[in-house]
Amino acid sequence: MNNTARYEDFKSRSELDSGEAKYPGQAAMWALVMIEAMTFSAYFVVYTIYYKLNPEAFLRSQAELSLGFGVFNTVILLTSSLSIALCVFHSREGNIRTALRYCLLTVAGGLLFSALKIYEWSVEIGKGFTFSSDEFFSYYYFFTGMHLLHVLVGFIALGVVYYQLINPSRRDQEIIESGATFWHMVDFLWVIIFALLYVMR
Amino acid sequence: MSASQNVAAAPPTRSKLQKLIWNFHNNPKRELWIAWYTIIVFYNIFGIVFFGITRTQPPPPASLTPREIVEWFADNRMGLLVGFGVIFFMGPIVTASTALIAYSMRRMSVSPAFAHTYLILYSLAAVPGMLLTCIVLVVGAMRPDRDPQLMATLYDMGFLAFSGTMGIFLIGSVIWAVAILLDKNNILPKWFGYFNVCNALTEVVVATCCIYKEGPFAWDGEIAFYINLVVFGIYTGCFITYLKAMIEKEDPQVDYLPNKV
Repeated sequence: MNNTARYEDFKSRSELDSGEAKYPGQAAMWALVMIEAMTFSAYFVVYTIYYKLNPEAFLRSQAELSLGFGVFNTVILLTSSLSIALCVFHSREGNIRTALRYCLLTVAGGLLFSALKIYEWSVEIGKGFTFSSDEFFSYYYFFTGMHLLHVLVGFIALGVVYYQLINPSRRDQEIIESGATFWHMVDFLWVIIFALLYVMR
Repeated sequence: MSASQNVAAAPPTRSKLQKLIWNFHNNPKRELWIAWYTIIVFYNIFGIVFFGITRTQPPPPASLTPREIVEWFADNRMGLLVGFGVIFFMGPIVTASTALIAYSMRRMSVSPAFAHTYLILYSLAAVPGMLLTCIVLVVGAMRPDRDPQLMATLYDMGFLAFSGTMGIFLIGSVIWAVAILLDKNNILPKWFGYFNVCNALTEVVVATCCIYKEGPFAWDGEIAFYINLVVFGIYTGCFITYLKAMIEKEDPQVDYLPNKV
């Protein structure tokens, strides 16, 4: 099925799609983004409430985090988000080779992010701060751990994007865009986590 | 096929009871409907027993001292015995839910291995995830004169078995998610496939209850329990609704055999 036919087919059976295409990718992927955003918002609200109950202890532990790691992580993830956007752009234009290169660049960004995150954990554990050390660090490991889990799921999404790009017969712009949407969500969640854990005073 | 002849006859419209009897004799999907209504019965029993009779959901504090745990067992003695007695009799009907979910995967264009894995996984999961909790807490309720330290162990074991075995549900959700996303027969909506992924990820959070006894990460905490309860509640509501839609959509003459593409 070519893209137009598949899109028509998708439009006719999707319950969430109300006519015109205003967003990239599957409507279903946007439903996931919404559900994830709501779940994480609930976690963030709990964190903020406990933070407000005991701000001094939180600030003391927060000072132990290295802002440099956080900023560097954010820059890497934002760059990878840009590269997956360029991947989608080039795949739309039909420059598959360039799109593949940007897809691999995104994977590299994700790997670098994960390696850095694990290194940062090892530094914090080396200083004696673990999940059960204090309240702030339990949130720190919880948020960064949950986020890293999403990064790992994101690698599956990027794998699907790569697989779609490399096979001319099954190349499907909608699925490529859905994979990219997931990666953007991973990036977006990190930006909030970064703000809450490293920056919020 | 005799079923196809029966479809032609219209159901009587006079009373609900007559309709029910007619459907019971003639509806070609009656096995599926019986399975679906069994799920409704199960979740009602489960809700009444766990939230109402035994008051084990929402779970009592994880931070109770052994003395308080003995009191908790004494206060809830009758509830635990009666409620979990009902579960020992009726709990196994949860298999209808597992069976219907596995059936949904058999109707998909994916390998039957998905359905089989799910079936085996959830058949085993009912033992640590539900029955072990009931057995352990009933033992505590039946022997109130034991050493408080032993009672505390039973209490911890009961609730940790209930909350700590989420890995099974994590893998189960992932299997269902992958099956829905790969399926070309459109048995279930794709967004629900993604919702399964989200549900699987929230199951990971529960693991923190093995480390913390108080605060949001304990088994009665906001993050490890309440947020998950909301996600799981919506998830359960969705899958019951979508299984109903699946049965309604199914045409017994076309889709009668599983796996027909």
